[in-house]
Amino acid sequence: MSIIEMKDLTKYYGRARGIIDVNLNVEQGEIFGFIGPNGAGKSTAIRTLLGLIYPTSGSATLFGKSCLEHPEVRKDLGYLPSEVFYYENMRVIDLLKYSASFYKKNCSKRINELAERMDLDLKRKIDDLSFGNKKKVGIVQGLLHEPKLIILDEPTSGLDPLMQQRFFELIGEENKKGATVLLSSHILGEVKKMCSRVAFIKDGKIIKLEKISTLQENSYKRFSVEAKSAIPQEAFNISGVSDLEVKNNTAHFIFKGDINAILKTISEIELHNISIVEPDLEEIFLHYYAKED
Amino acid sequence: MNMYLFELKSMRKSTIIWTCALITLALFYISIYPSVAKDADDFKKLLSGYPASVRAMLGINLDYITSFLGFYAMIFSFVTLFGAIQAMNLGVSILSKETRERTADFLLVKPVSRLAIITAKLMAAFTMILATNIFFYAGSSILANTTQTADFDQKLFFMINLTLLFIQLIFLCFGMFVSLFFKRLKSILPISLGVVFGLYLVGALIVTGKNDDVLRFISPFKYFDITYIIKNASYEAPYLIAGAVIIVVAAVASYMIYVKKDIHV
Repeated sequence: MSIIEMKDLTKYYGRARGIIDVNLNVEQGEIFGFIGPNGAGKSTAIRTLLGLIYPTSGSATLFGKSCLEHPEVRKDLGYLPSEVFYYENMRVIDLLKYSASFYKKNCSKRINELAERMDLDLKRKIDDLSFGNKKKVGIVQGLLHEPKLIILDEPTSGLDPLMQQRFFELIGEENKKGATVLLSSHILGEVKKMCSRVAFIKDGKIIKLEKISTLQENSYKRFSVEAKSAIPQEAFNISGVSDLEVKNNTAHFIFKGDINAILKTISEIELHNISIVEPDLEEIFLHYYAKED
Repeated sequence: MNMYLFELKSMRKSTIIWTCALITLALFYISIYPSVAKDADDFKKLLSGYPASVRAMLGINLDYITSFLGFYAMIFSFVTLFGAIQAMNLGVSILSKETRERTADFLLVKPVSRLAIITAKLMAAFTMILATNIFFYAGSSILANTTQTADFDQKLFFMINLTLLFIQLIFLCFGMFVSLFFKRLKSILPISLGVVFGLYLVGALIVTGKNDDVLRFISPFKYFDITYIIKNASYEAPYLIAGAVIIVVAAVASYMIYVKKDIHV
């Protein structure tokens, strides 16, 4: 049995598109990535899965059951929404205790442990917390009952790099203990680091479902080169280069393939400046997946 | 149970403030009654100078106004107005709060059904309304008994006070029902004040007109004619039933809509 299963899941908001025919299975113990630009339908898919919104057609199940008909299956679910809001005028600890009261087990030890790990002051009022600290409350809140399934919607926004790292360590540990994870993000690097499989979603449809190992072979980099003298048009005429744009002293392109080969080519040019970055998702979609489909 | 207690706690402050306001209002009016009673004839003369429609609007009945209960009836039309606002606020906010404060993503992914959520919230609101009524009755009763030299009918006094509970329950359920038609309510006051004052004015206009028995069904404020209660020591059955129907229909419809509703933040 799959932990998460979406079958022809479709959601329209009136006439506006939410998601269309999404099919997806997440298996026990897996860390599954869900990636796509903003507005692609990631949150819609997750919210339908959680029973917050009703699908127009198709079905979504957790542990083989629909949340809408069997709300109790959510006892093994930990959810971290992309934006964290909590009741006004509450201290962190009160909120966490209220959250724990929905699960029939004693979570106080776990709360303290997680708060310490995430460096969160339990006595503060939630209203006074910064965005990043509110996010930490969300993380502790989502994990305090040791859920078997963890669903994360854009989990790292607002967290500083150190906390991001600790957070992913934490998720990694939960996963080793047997928890299944669904990680939704628009940051490819984040997903690559954590996940075993990833689904790309765009305009409400899943356009690609791939193993991360395959993705890693197809590692795309965006190069921006600034030379001391004019760059000849044919300088980057090697395989793996695409989206090439050469203008006087500068050149921009996306490269896929053996990184050494391209570096050799570049080294023949007298450089003024260079940047090599992960292309953003939009670019990958536009130049690769969209074409391949 | 955890949700019920949590909701109670979150409503506690505003309920205390509303209850105190209602009692203060009663205190203010009841304290001037002894002087009204003393100059009863002058007071009657003064009021009879008002147009009949204005008197009807304010719930003033000249035959009874100088008796304590008659005077209390006038006060009570303000008390019910404020009580209705309190109840409507509560009703509109209990479910819409979760989307307005964006806490729906917290509560609605807990392993509880929406049925359980709405029940806990409604029960908590009901408890608060009941508490308001108990404290208001106790407060007004103490005030009335300490300031009154002449006896008044305690049973009628209780029956008049009980109409506050009926009216509040109507507005509580109606408010909850209305709130479900909005995707996200940014603020509850415009809608609750609008509806309550609207119905109050409609009610006032109805009684200044022909006081049509059918038209009275439009405004819950006119379901309980205090003069009728004083005269007959009973409620008017058709309106009592109408009130009960509104409560039940609004509550059941709210359940049905909420369970099927898409929750957005």
